[in-house]
Amino acid sequence: MTATTGTATPVRTTADVVERVREAVARATPLRIVGRGGWLDAGHPVRAAHVLALDGLTGIVDYTPGDLTLTARAGTPLAEIARATMAERQWLALDPFGSPHGTLGATVATASAGPLAHAFGTPRDNVLGLEAVTGDARVIRGGGRVVKNVAGFDLTRLLTGSWGTLGVITEVTVRLRALPEVEESWAIATPDDPPTLDALLARLRTASVAPLAAELLNPALAARLALGDRPVLLLRLGANAESVRAQREQVAMLGDARPAPSEVWSALRECEPPGAAVLRCSALPSRLPETWALACRSTHAVPDALLHASVGRGIVRCIIPPGALTLGDAIRALRAFDGTVIAERLPAEHWFPSKSDPVRDRLARDVARAFDPHRVLNPGILELAP
Amino acid sequence: MNRDALVAALREIVGARGVLTRPSELLAYSADGLPTYRKVPPLAVFPGSREELIRVVRLLAAEHHPFVPRGAGTGLSAGALAEGDAVVIGLNRLTQILSIDPVNRLAVVEPGAVNLTLTRAATPYGLHYAPDPSSQSACTIGGNVAENSGGPHCLKYGVTLNHVVAITAILASGELVTLGNAAGESEGYDLLGAFIGSEGCFGIAVDVTVRLTPNPEAVRTMLADFTSIEAGARATSAIIASGIVPAALEMMDGPTIRAVEASIYAAGYPADADAVLLIELDGLAAGLDADVRLVERLCRDAGARDVRIARDEAERARLWQGRKKAFGAMGRVAPDLVVQDAVIPRTRLPDVLRTIHAIAERWGIQVCNVFHAGDGNLHPNIGFDSRNADEADRVHHAMREIMRACVEAGGTITGEHGVGLDKLEYMPLIFSPDSLDAQCRLRTVFDPERRANPGKVVPVHACREWTMAPAARASRVEVA
Ligand SMILES: Cc1cc2nc3c(=O)[nH]c(=O)nc-3n(C[C@H](O)[C@H](O)[C@H](O)COP(=O)(O)OP(=O)(O)OC[C@H]3O[C@@H](n4cnc5c(N)ncnc54)[C@H](O)[C@@H]3O)c2cc1C
Repeated sequence: MTATTGTATPVRTTADVVERVREAVARATPLRIVGRGGWLDAGHPVRAAHVLALDGLTGIVDYTPGDLTLTARAGTPLAEIARATMAERQWLALDPFGSPHGTLGATVATASAGPLAHAFGTPRDNVLGLEAVTGDARVIRGGGRVVKNVAGFDLTRLLTGSWGTLGVITEVTVRLRALPEVEESWAIATPDDPPTLDALLARLRTASVAPLAAELLNPALAARLALGDRPVLLLRLGANAESVRAQREQVAMLGDARPAPSEVWSALRECEPPGAAVLRCSALPSRLPETWALACRSTHAVPDALLHASVGRGIVRCIIPPGALTLGDAIRALRAFDGTVIAERLPAEHWFPSKSDPVRDRLARDVARAFDPHRVLNPGILELAP
Repeated sequence: MNRDALVAALREIVGARGVLTRPSELLAYSADGLPTYRKVPPLAVFPGSREELIRVVRLLAAEHHPFVPRGAGTGLSAGALAEGDAVVIGLNRLTQILSIDPVNRLAVVEPGAVNLTLTRAATPYGLHYAPDPSSQSACTIGGNVAENSGGPHCLKYGVTLNHVVAITAILASGELVTLGNAAGESEGYDLLGAFIGSEGCFGIAVDVTVRLTPNPEAVRTMLADFTSIEAGARATSAIIASGIVPAALEMMDGPTIRAVEASIYAAGYPADADAVLLIELDGLAAGLDADVRLVERLCRDAGARDVRIARDEAERARLWQGRKKAFGAMGRVAPDLVVQDAVIPRTRLPDVLRTIHAIAERWGIQVCNVFHAGDGNLHPNIGFDSRNADEADRVHHAMREIMRACVEAGGTITGEHGVGLDKLEYMPLIFSPDSLDAQCRLRTVFDPERRANPGKVVPVHACREWTMAPAARASRVEVA
């Protein structure tokens, strides 16, 4: 069964979600949980009768700028949070790939992170608490609204990245940061043969720079972002004026550095064409040149494959435009990598199982059973073996 | 298996001296850092290697016997106490730092490795382990993981959760499992995140892979002194709101300052001040002094009498020593000390501190506040004499009121010390029966027989499942 559009009235409150989950249990009609639909084609195909759309569950519930914390309903778009916090010169330092109209709830449910994870971590590092409705229609809360909290077992971390399978996230509290006084971005032309890249990254690690983001782009992606037609290392600096000035001098010593417009980051976030296949390869950061070389090799035959790497985190992301005839070959080649290969979005027929470990798999299955005993929440999306 | 047989089987694994059985020997394991709870465990076993640890846990699994892991016993929530017939598994012989990878800034350590030892081992590479509980010269990485410990520098650098990338754990069933991934991204549920802070109830960390942090290029340590606690609180709120993230922002109130200054840890704090802020800024050298100037101005605007900047490493170390030894100094003043650990939104600091003061006055007790002000993580400490029943009773009442006030201000009941036994009664203040029940369910996934550190963290009687089951209701109060 594939998902059909919801027929019920739109969801506006947590109580509405409880109602919908109760109904799903009673009628044995599993739900496909959707924020604004940006992730609809991601993940394993979901076997669900109904869509539970959360785009009506919106709004900032609490924002105290002096606390640098914000609580919003799950369907609130990141762009709305950005607008509200910008007015106080603050931001939620999460920039997951995709449109800024993606929702807070989906970002947390999928644990999606973008280039800023280099300095600020991923959702697990930025979420302070959440509310969710479990598969047996109970409202649970983890964490709270304060920045430090070890009360009880950590339901917040458990639900972050659970892809909706343990609970429908209805509300999230996040940690905010002050916007840097000054920001600027630099693109350094980068020969990407492994030894040269390795040397450059080693210099970056020891230089007096503390970038907010550091992404390596392949020529196709650099061209798409109007940064020339060679591989580039894109750095985002942000601090007080004096610090940024000093860091800029350091960046200039790393190589042929040119200023890049600040919009380059949103362009990078939104660069993937609709329907693209996306895979991520990761290993120790010291192996990045090797991981990069493998990703380049594997996608060599794909016209217009877009590649970028979070160099500090050792992750290479490969975007393969839709319709590439060689997609199957590219996936096979990438999967031969001895690091971790994660599929972000793939056409259904190309899905592959993630690495398994008997004990961890059993824990995962038992967690899913404990929180969604009737399997009504996004069944199949994580492809847990029965 | 009866007790003698169990002792014999354990000795078979760890050797005769690795098992303690006599009450006199076990006395040292009857409490942790919180002296108000005491219980002599029936047995304590000290594996000398990873293999021995695994065999011990598997033996207890075969016997369906409960156990409680124990690191250095510096915990402040009575988490390492043995309830019922639980065997203490002491991890303090497993102290090795197994590897350091300076390029990827990772270290793999055994659970009994002492926090500060790890930082010392990383020093030659210009690295350190960022979470720095004030107990860091004694507490273990395993204990830090179990409590998700923080420390003064966690304001900027994050707590244990943000610095652990993988753990090999042995579950109560005796199965080994790797949670997280040290060499790349992790897939599936964040079971690593769930394990961190699980207070020994989800299993035992056998090895821990942590992130190491480069030492900052430059550091500035400042001491601002105030004639009222409120002014110090206002300065804290102003600094946080300014967007500068100090590496640390700690407050000590008048009674704490005077206890420290009267002790061998005298740090040169102004003894007539009613509050001092110890503020540290670090990072790249360029631009740091601009932040220092701004922080100084914010302190003065809030009413600071003086803002002193440490001139050298010796002065910096001295300022910190006073803070890190403050508990010890207070311990000298009264025979017993209860240490609390609540968190409030940072904008509420001035009014909550005022409330705490009023509560203390009402109950006729002396509260010392020494805490991680930048995080809003309060540590109201009360010195008293437990032999004086009336005083002990007043202390208990005051503590309950303080906790309630923190929760009402939008806060939580523990920021870093964990729930253990001590905070069980407060859990229903912040979690609904359904939320507590969800925590019980999670615990059951990791430990279906509930043998790992039984009796801690979640009060089972408060969970929905329990309240709904009449049979269970009839029995005595039970805990997860
Ligand atoms: C003076 C003083 C200052 C302190 N300052 C701070 C501070 O600034 N910040 C802070 O966060 N805490 C602080 N603490 C509290 C305490 O030091 C921490 O909670 C510390 O992490 C406990 O470590 P430990 O090795 O002593 O653990 P223990 O007390 O031995 O055990 C604590 C808990 O961890 C479990 N455990 C231990 N090892 C393992 C393992 N390998 N696997 C699974 N579970 C395990 C135990 O069962 C128990 O539940 C302070 C304590 C004192 C006495």
